[in-house]
Amino acid sequence: MAAVVPGSGASREEEGTGGDAATPQPPAPTSAPGARLSRLPLARVKALVKADPDVTLAGQEAIFILARAAELFVETIAKDAYCCAQQGKRKTLQRRDLDNAIEAVDEFAFLEGTLD
Amino acid sequence: MAERPEDLNLPNAVITRIIKEALPDGVNISKEARSAISRAASVFVLYATSCANNFAMKGKRKTLNASDVLSAMEEMEFQRFVTPLKEALEAYRREQKGKKEASEQKKKDKDKKTDSEEQDKSRDEDNDEDEERLEEEEHNEEEEVDN
Repeated sequence: MAAVVPGSGASREEEGTGGDAATPQPPAPTSAPGARLSRLPLARVKALVKADPDVTLAGQEAIFILARAAELFVETIAKDAYCCAQQGKRKTLQRRDLDNAIEAVDEFAFLEGTLD
Repeated sequence: MAERPEDLNLPNAVITRIIKEALPDGVNISKEARSAISRAASVFVLYATSCANNFAMKGKRKTLNASDVLSAMEEMEFQRFVTPLKEALEAYRREQKGKKEASEQKKKDKDKKTDSEEQDKSRDEDNDEDEERLEEEEHNEEEEVDN
């Protein structure tokens, strides 16, 4: 008499309302917390790098760091744009929030005129 | 095929996920804003590549390496990225080293099934690799069974 005890009730409570339940996560190579090394596909980043006519070759480590830097950049600009939206008491980030952030933050100056 | 380099976009799903994880819960993002951020990320990579390439050329090298990219970050006034990037690079190097050693181990084991003489498994280089130790124990058991 095989008794299958569904003990998943407790685990559901433990997982809570994580938003990652629906999206399939890629298998993480290391079990260290926050060690997902890069989410952006390196192949696409490599394609961008090769688009530069002056670039001859790029090492794998360089591609990886560029991918990770791009992720950090996305996080940074999203947060800065959110500050603008917060001031407008909105909960949805709009394109104008991004434009405001680009104008306000010196480091984003290189983006001016490139997003249109 | 690509008309402009900016058209080489990064996958929308990944960009969206990064944005959502950076922002507090309940905050949404419009389609236009998301695609603008995606393009901004592409422009960022292109700009960083160009800066990094300058450093490589200064060093008379034809291949971009990690330090070129890090120098580019400082040049672009993104110094705050440098420390997390260095940490990520170290983790990446460890992972690459682990993969390389794992595949080398497999090759050696194939040879060792015929020759069980050498035991150069006692490497005292890195004690952080617990996985290797587990594999070693398993392989030792296999050898005993075969003999």
